[in-house]
Amino acid sequence: MIAPLIRGEGLTRIFHRRGGFLGRGVPMLALRGVDIAVNRGEAVGVVGESGCGKSTLGRVMLRLMAPSGGRVLFEDRDLATMGGAELRALRRRMQMVFQDPYGSLDPRRSVGAQIADGMAIHGIAQGAEAAERVAALLRQVGLDPTHAQRLPHEFSGGQRQRIAIARALATRPDFIVADEPVSALDVSIQAQVVNLLADLRAELGLALMFISHDLHVVRHLCDRVVVMYLGLVMEEGPAAEIFRAPAHPYTRALLAATPSMHHRAMTAPLAGEVPSIARPPSGCVFRTRCPMAQPACAESIPVLRPLPGADGRQIACRRAEEIAA
Amino acid sequence: MRRAKIRPLILPGVLALAIIALAVAAPILPLTDPVRQDVASRLTGPSALHWLGQDEYGRDVLSRIIWGARVSLSVAFAAAAAAAVAGTLLGLLGGYFRGVVELLTVRASEIVLCFPPLLLALLVVTLLGPGAATLVLSLAILFAPGFARVAYAETLSARALDYVTAQQALGAPTARILARTLLPNIAPPLIVQFSLTVAAAMLLESGLSFLGLGVVPPSPSWGLMIRGARSAMEQAPLLLFWPCLALTGTVLVLNLFCDRLRDALDPRGRASGKPGFLGRVLALPPAPQTPATPALLSVEGLTLQVPGPKGPVTVVRDVGFTLAPGETLAIVGESGSGKTLTGLAIMGLLPAAVRPVAGRIMLAGRDGTPRDLLRLPEPELRAMRGRDMAMIFQDPSSSLNPLLRVGAQVGESLRAHGVTDGIRDRVVTLLRQVGLPDPERAAVAYPHELSGGQRQRAMIAAAIANHPRLLLADEPTTALDVTVQAQILTLLAELKRAEGGMGMVFVTHNLAVVAEIADRVAVMYAGEVVEEGPAAEVFAAPRHPYTAALIESTPEGDAERLSAIPGAVPQPWAMPSGCRFAPRCAMAEPACTAAAPAMEETGPRRAARCRRWKEVA
Repeated sequence: MIAPLIRGEGLTRIFHRRGGFLGRGVPMLALRGVDIAVNRGEAVGVVGESGCGKSTLGRVMLRLMAPSGGRVLFEDRDLATMGGAELRALRRRMQMVFQDPYGSLDPRRSVGAQIADGMAIHGIAQGAEAAERVAALLRQVGLDPTHAQRLPHEFSGGQRQRIAIARALATRPDFIVADEPVSALDVSIQAQVVNLLADLRAELGLALMFISHDLHVVRHLCDRVVVMYLGLVMEEGPAAEIFRAPAHPYTRALLAATPSMHHRAMTAPLAGEVPSIARPPSGCVFRTRCPMAQPACAESIPVLRPLPGADGRQIACRRAEEIAA
Repeated sequence: MRRAKIRPLILPGVLALAIIALAVAAPILPLTDPVRQDVASRLTGPSALHWLGQDEYGRDVLSRIIWGARVSLSVAFAAAAAAAVAGTLLGLLGGYFRGVVELLTVRASEIVLCFPPLLLALLVVTLLGPGAATLVLSLAILFAPGFARVAYAETLSARALDYVTAQQALGAPTARILARTLLPNIAPPLIVQFSLTVAAAMLLESGLSFLGLGVVPPSPSWGLMIRGARSAMEQAPLLLFWPCLALTGTVLVLNLFCDRLRDALDPRGRASGKPGFLGRVLALPPAPQTPATPALLSVEGLTLQVPGPKGPVTVVRDVGFTLAPGETLAIVGESGSGKTLTGLAIMGLLPAAVRPVAGRIMLAGRDGTPRDLLRLPEPELRAMRGRDMAMIFQDPSSSLNPLLRVGAQVGESLRAHGVTDGIRDRVVTLLRQVGLPDPERAAVAYPHELSGGQRQRAMIAAAIANHPRLLLADEPTTALDVTVQAQILTLLAELKRAEGGMGMVFVTHNLAVVAEIADRVAVMYAGEVVEEGPAAEVFAAPRHPYTAALIESTPEGDAERLSAIPGAVPQPWAMPSGCRFAPRCAMAEPACTAAAPAMEETGPRRAARCRRWKEVA
């Protein structure tokens, strides 16, 4: 088996909500031991509701945030052991696209200058050569190359997201984390950007970690899906398989709750809401809302293990055998 | 920078330049020596030789004011500049690195704030002796913490923004992030702070000189002049007036200049808007006298405009739909389609800049008589809001007051409509009705103690408290997770059944949500309704190319590739002539761009705004 391009092992991340005077505060477990790997050219979707830790995972993978435990390996090199200069140099190869196209671009600098930033920082191109590359990138993401001098507010949301993608592509990265890149966009524009990402991935052989709460979009774009809940992976496997036959009770509930134009879903929406990450339930974190929960589910956190009878799928549920049967 | 943005800078800029030029040019101007005394004609008023008169030693006041400006301005500018550089640097470093650096920079500089400013200045002056240089130093020390605090606060909020993280993700060195990304973005409040500081420094310089701690006599300075004039206040009050005028005038010019400069540096420019409930009503033509349809709500020909630089811009044009009691109508569209403005117009909650210019909105109130909400006086409208019609907003965390208990806010909607007895019990009943677990506790909880979904339930409880005839929901589930969204949609459907006859207008961008809950749908594009009809029929067989394309582009099903609508929604000030969707439409032909199509009936209670609707399949 080929080594993955980037992988996270046992990633944890704890935030501390500010407590009283001098107190360290309440620990909030955003990530509680997540293993994830992305192969070259592969698109991995990370889905879950707010508080599941998907955005934290994206930032930890790029070491925009240090994990509290575990490690991230890029081509088998541990990011934590790298020096500042080495890590900055590696950033050329891994990039990020953010959710909010209004907040992710500096409002005071021309979009061309912002796209050229990465090239200047990493000494890829300068001056006329950089301007040429900026024009080529703008064309690649479907924008008019003569608009490089404009400021971000002169573009619509969808166009800004294209600019943000162009900025991420400027350093010719191998790996891109896209954190909800289409959630803030209109439906018709969403489709444009999803298609653009799919094209770029095919064209450039990009590895993509696509973070989203929208299952439909993930299904369109991703080879593999990781379903997260309260900082833990619930289920993982090939996208088509998971959508065809979701195994974990949470994945099933998530799919059932997602409104669809073709069938009225909502047969039995999940009761309650995602518990606070400051007070996660004992044992299986999903048991408080799980229709299949048993008293034993409270005892220990179920480990992610292969789903019986299904190739390449993993599930973290005590009752995996019953589900598979 | 655009020329339009520079224009407001001209007036204060010229004034400020004139003041500075006068001060700089003092040595070459034909002025009397500012320290030459002429005791014989002391305290004389203005004359041809001495335009502003002579002071207590017979010195020329005009000359002293202009020479004094040199001292006052240079001390103030030097002190403000030194404070700005030092304070900004401290605040920027403290805000970016936090932790120990913050302690050493921002917190350390704040110690200065603990001393009374005059005492601190006294201390420095006593240690170093009076004089302009000492004055600059002590003023800089005094004002630096102010800059540090502003820079710190701005850096804190800016560093959390994605574009700063994006720079980190690009691998930019820290110095580059600080200088090229953060500094320009925290500059505007610092510019304001600078203008305030120059003004304050001038005042404090005058104060210190007045106390004899600043500029040493006989050098002219405005503070010294005020000090001298004070003793002769009764004989020559004008002597006090001139330096005060110079001081006030300069301070005002500086403030104006810096305010305008900040606006000019803002890439987005200032939002313009005129207040205008009165204007709103006056702008409307009289209502058409056609009889109202026997519906709960009927919107006819609603047209909304906002003022633009080149005349009014029509943001909503000729929007119409009807809603029968007990029906749910979804207004669906992309951003910029005018769906939210249409909803707000129904509630009479349009932003001040938006003016209705045509149409009417007829709502049958609880007594059954239809009223035109667009032309209703504000007090009557207010009486109807919350009673005949109620609204749920998108963001449940910002639509509840964080300082009031949830129960009090739900009770408020009862109290506002004259209920006085048993409010507590009714609130608990309402909270139970919207499915809040443990409603007694939820009633005494503060909004932050509830989750997002629970807050939205509380908002719904407040909205339905008076059994409104019409419930307007503006993207009520957009900020919620899908599993919670499903719960809220179920709740709304249940409430509608329970409230018998309550109509609902549901504004959303999500077609799948429309399919879940709506009986009827109005699809809006670029400020117009392009298709209206029963939701199931519209989705099964759309009659407008935009509806069809929108359904196609929704990421569902197994298609390998999403079909996207090319281009973007046109801006309201650059609407295409003819059909507004034509530039993005796959079926457009020359005739489509020639004239705007009208709504055509395409079936029973169905209409579409397309010339070729018969061909849309």
